[in-house]
Amino acid sequence: MSKQDKPTIVLEKPVMSEHNILVANRGEIAMRIMRACRELGVAFTAIYTAEDEASGHVALARELGGPKSLYRVSSYHDANELMAVADDAGCTAVHPGYGFFAEDFRFARRVTKRDRKMIFIGPSWKIIRELGDKINTKRLARSLGVPTVPGSDRPIYDEMEAERIAKSVFEYQEQQGIKHPLVLVKASAGGGGMGIEEVYDPDQFRSVYRRIRSYALRQFKDEGVLIEQRIKDFNHLEVQIVSDRTGRHPIHFGTRNCSIQSTGRQKRIEVAPGFAPDTLEYTFDAAKVLTNIVDYSLAMAAKVRYDNVGTWEWIVTRAGEPFLMEVNTRIQVENGVSASISRVAGKDGVDLISEQIRLGLGDTLGYTQAEVASEGVGVEYRIIAEDPAANFTPWVGKIEKFSWQEAPWLTMFTHVPTDRPYEIPTEFDPNLALAIVWGKDLDEAKARGLEFLASLTLEGRNASGDALRSNVSFLKENTERLLRF
Amino acid sequence: MDNNIDKRIVALRERLDYLKDIFAGKNLGDSGLLEDRLEAFASRVREGSLRDDPYAELSSIEDLFGHVERRLDKRITAMDKVRIVRHPQRICLRDILENVYDNFTEVGGQDEYSLDPGMLIARAVIMRRSGKKTYSQAVMVIGQEKGHGAEYRNGGSVKPWGNAKAMQYMHVAETEGIPIHSYIFTPGAYPIEDYPGAAQQIARNIYGMAGLRVPIIAVTSEGGSGGAEAIGLADRRLMLSHGYYSVISPEGAAAIEGHIKAGERATPEMIEHCAENLHITAQDNLRFGYIDRIIEEPPLGARPWHFDFFRTLRQEVIRATDEVVISTRIVPGLRGLALNRHRAPEVNLDEMHISWALSPAAKDRLVEKRQQKFLHLSRYAVRDNRPLVARTTQACLDWVSRPFLNFKYDIYRKHQRRIKGFVEEIGNEWESFKSRMLAPWRNFKKSLRPKGEDKSKLELTELSAWTDDARQRRWNYLSPRYKIDRTVTCPNSESYGCLDLWGPDLYAEFAGVCSYCGHHFPMEPEWYVQNVFDKGSVNEFNAEIEAGNPLSFPTFDERIAAAKEKTGSRSGCMTFEADIEGIKIVVAMLMGTFRGGSFGAAEGFKFVEAAKRAARKRCAFLAYVHGTAGIRIQEGTHGVIQMPRCTVAVRRYIEAGGLYMVLYDTNSFAGPVASFLGCSPYQFAVRSSNIGFAGPGVIKETTGLDIPPKYHRSYHALSRGHIQAIWDRRQIRANLKQTLLTIGGRNLYYR
Repeated sequence: MSKQDKPTIVLEKPVMSEHNILVANRGEIAMRIMRACRELGVAFTAIYTAEDEASGHVALARELGGPKSLYRVSSYHDANELMAVADDAGCTAVHPGYGFFAEDFRFARRVTKRDRKMIFIGPSWKIIRELGDKINTKRLARSLGVPTVPGSDRPIYDEMEAERIAKSVFEYQEQQGIKHPLVLVKASAGGGGMGIEEVYDPDQFRSVYRRIRSYALRQFKDEGVLIEQRIKDFNHLEVQIVSDRTGRHPIHFGTRNCSIQSTGRQKRIEVAPGFAPDTLEYTFDAAKVLTNIVDYSLAMAAKVRYDNVGTWEWIVTRAGEPFLMEVNTRIQVENGVSASISRVAGKDGVDLISEQIRLGLGDTLGYTQAEVASEGVGVEYRIIAEDPAANFTPWVGKIEKFSWQEAPWLTMFTHVPTDRPYEIPTEFDPNLALAIVWGKDLDEAKARGLEFLASLTLEGRNASGDALRSNVSFLKENTERLLRF
Repeated sequence: MDNNIDKRIVALRERLDYLKDIFAGKNLGDSGLLEDRLEAFASRVREGSLRDDPYAELSSIEDLFGHVERRLDKRITAMDKVRIVRHPQRICLRDILENVYDNFTEVGGQDEYSLDPGMLIARAVIMRRSGKKTYSQAVMVIGQEKGHGAEYRNGGSVKPWGNAKAMQYMHVAETEGIPIHSYIFTPGAYPIEDYPGAAQQIARNIYGMAGLRVPIIAVTSEGGSGGAEAIGLADRRLMLSHGYYSVISPEGAAAIEGHIKAGERATPEMIEHCAENLHITAQDNLRFGYIDRIIEEPPLGARPWHFDFFRTLRQEVIRATDEVVISTRIVPGLRGLALNRHRAPEVNLDEMHISWALSPAAKDRLVEKRQQKFLHLSRYAVRDNRPLVARTTQACLDWVSRPFLNFKYDIYRKHQRRIKGFVEEIGNEWESFKSRMLAPWRNFKKSLRPKGEDKSKLELTELSAWTDDARQRRWNYLSPRYKIDRTVTCPNSESYGCLDLWGPDLYAEFAGVCSYCGHHFPMEPEWYVQNVFDKGSVNEFNAEIEAGNPLSFPTFDERIAAAKEKTGSRSGCMTFEADIEGIKIVVAMLMGTFRGGSFGAAEGFKFVEAAKRAARKRCAFLAYVHGTAGIRIQEGTHGVIQMPRCTVAVRRYIEAGGLYMVLYDTNSFAGPVASFLGCSPYQFAVRSSNIGFAGPGVIKETTGLDIPPKYHRSYHALSRGHIQAIWDRRQIRANLKQTLLTIGGRNLYYR
């Protein structure tokens, strides 16, 4: 898409009191959105399902918005129901949070194109669609000279061509001195980990290729296949992008490192900034890597005229090579950790969700990149009822005690009530709380993190009387290796 | 007491009952008169108070019966004829076998011990004399047996396997080289979908008969649409004067015309009205040209005791068979003489012998004549709006281009391929010679190039060229329903829990496919025209051919005009040429939006022309059935005749080496499926389509069977073997491309 064919958007300052935002989510993100709305002076409408009756977000909605602002729905996944609620409540905008409809361009399109039009608090649906397509994103990156994972950037339909590419991916890795080269074969129309397989032996490639191809044909009606290098040893970094509706001047809120993950590749600890070149030794020029990925991300955001908050996800290899992985066209769980180290015009207390809503409704940014600075190190712990020893199996039961030591450097986001027992609903992921700890440098942040974790009480029992299992000890153990490659 | 008198009284009572039955409450004065006379006489017989010559009195009563019958016969209506052919006293095929033929052996079953007792097959013999010599001529007699109402005969409503049996023995006759006499006594086929399938087997029969290499004579008493066509594609089509030949039973037509709901009945007036206006009698059909000759029946229709009638019938079928045989002779003069001799009224064909054996060349001519006969039927029943100049130009162009195209494809192309092969071979030799000679120079050049950073790395990290991005392709046409902001509930939501779909998503991006269960909502014909074929390649032809009202069916003029107004097309069949990734194909599309996709003379005209065009241009031929409810009933036999007609066209196309494919969408039922669609060797269906012979309501009505839900779903059709595969709507284009490259005959231009 060229810049010429996009209409010029002129921003008009929105009258906050004229808006009513449908909070199309649950749990802690719903609470954060509601608080942000309150802060901005925007009305909101919350939803909940029968299972979430006891969730903190329901109580908070009652407290901040009154009973009229709350609707019970049968599912968070039914767009029709959400639209009905929005119409009944007279909503003017929809905030999808993360998960559910956050990256569903069709939902965004429906919100903005229906007869009673609303604002989708997120990038425009065309951008969600454009960047939601992994091939498209990869090609966009390459067209701008942004590094991507070596391999094909279009679906391969021809077996001969596929084999030739796989062969050169193997050779390429050997040239790079990789001992055990791996090739990834994935269905180009796939997603969510379906239709992906690794190949470690070039002779094995053909049979894997054929398997994936027929799977893709059956599952996605498209036999196109992508062939890429499989990178094993890497750190997971992110760049937080923020832009107003014109999309002309995207800025960034720094980087994050999300390398501490569960075995199922779910993030458990996020740290901002992405590396700590001042305190730690790296085998590569970490500062330069951070600058590079920020620049690359901004270049892409400017190219597509990205018009809300979003995250560019990167993998950085041990050799210090960054590769663009994907773009998340939504607010992320870990947005708070970037906010915690950000200072706008020297002031702290940055709230990216509030920024997202404000910009989504059409407000101007009000500051420039030069006015955004960062200070210290932020660490976010995801406190989850699960058993890290048993492959992070979720634990389900009743939380009886949940408390921690408050501190000025600590922010807790949780929908779990602390004044009464809480039954964890089985329908959703068992995320209980996010704890964001700030320190003036990495060492202080780590020390405070450990202090917080030590003060945390989290107890409960399940139906058979077993004690609650949580990942707190896992978080403690991993605090030491934060930001180390 | 004379037993004989009693017997004759019983016979007269039967005659009276028959008369009362067939007039169903009409002509009560006449029947009352006869009844009074007969009962007065009968009571005197009982009381024993007969006068001097009871036989004379009896004869005079019989004369009176005859007189009244003759008189009533003059004002017989179409509906009376329907009641006549349905009456248990009506002659049956077994009566014909016993009285018309000299000897016969029933094959393929016996009475109720038969695969299908409704279909009777016999090897019969006709003895003829010529001078002192006696000749015995064998024929294969095939027909529906109503068995005077015997229940196991099922009223002559033949099941699919009964029609398969008929086809089997038609092939036996072909092998043995004996003519086929088929007798049509059916209200319609039994609408059951089990293999071989009511519709599909009829289609196979029609297709088979279109190329059968022996003379076929058909005699129609009750010609109920599809069931009749299953054995009706004949060289000579005779019809009994009191029979009917129709697209649908008058009751069925009345139910449709009167918008009758299940369980209700149409009024007798409505039924009578339909019977009249459908023009179903022998006289009507002779006028239309769909039968060749009427065999006169005795007043009020033939019954088993009308022995004179059987003699007439015998003469007629022999004459018809002889004529067919004679007409295959080459020398025109001799042929004319022989035919004239035959047609002389006083001639007794039993005393004249003509061999019914045919030479291979005569068989070719026989089949060609039969095919041409059907191709020429019903062409006048359409409104051809093409200007005369255009029509003649087209005809001339066809005539001129034929030899050119024949030369191009049959001679030039073949040699071209050979020449190309030769040139390629030379080229290969030259290349390998060049590479050997230039090897040192190449090695030198290579040594100059820097090592390392080679092409393969660039390929893995730089943007590649990508021209055909199929995923990014937007639909060329969106259903206008996409503009409406409303949610649509998937019919499977009860069973699969599909969430409601948002109309603008469903009818645009999703192509009308439920994103949860894959249910296909019906789309407009335009969707296919625009989205399946290459953009801008669609080139319609014969759009001027217009569906009319050939029977002048009451109020139908307005209705057909309304359909034209609504759809913007002039008939329910759009024929066009279009490309699929550069491969040109000819398409006949039956549009479900035009009067339910019903098929009449105009549609048949266009379909036949399309098949001819495809053959001429060596293109693949696709029948895309957006939807068809069957033959357009308001056109009567003008519609029915399209079944054999179009099948003949299709058979000629297939035999010329083409690729004939059928793709069903939405609902495809009845006549078209039971003929030119169902006979295709390559039939596919779009998901969620329904394919069948008769809809659930009609099945319930005619058979009393309760059919299971989703009985006609394409998946069932697939497991019954009626179709070859089920396609996703979004994949039609890709699948068509695949089929074009992999299946079909020897004579396709792109091969």
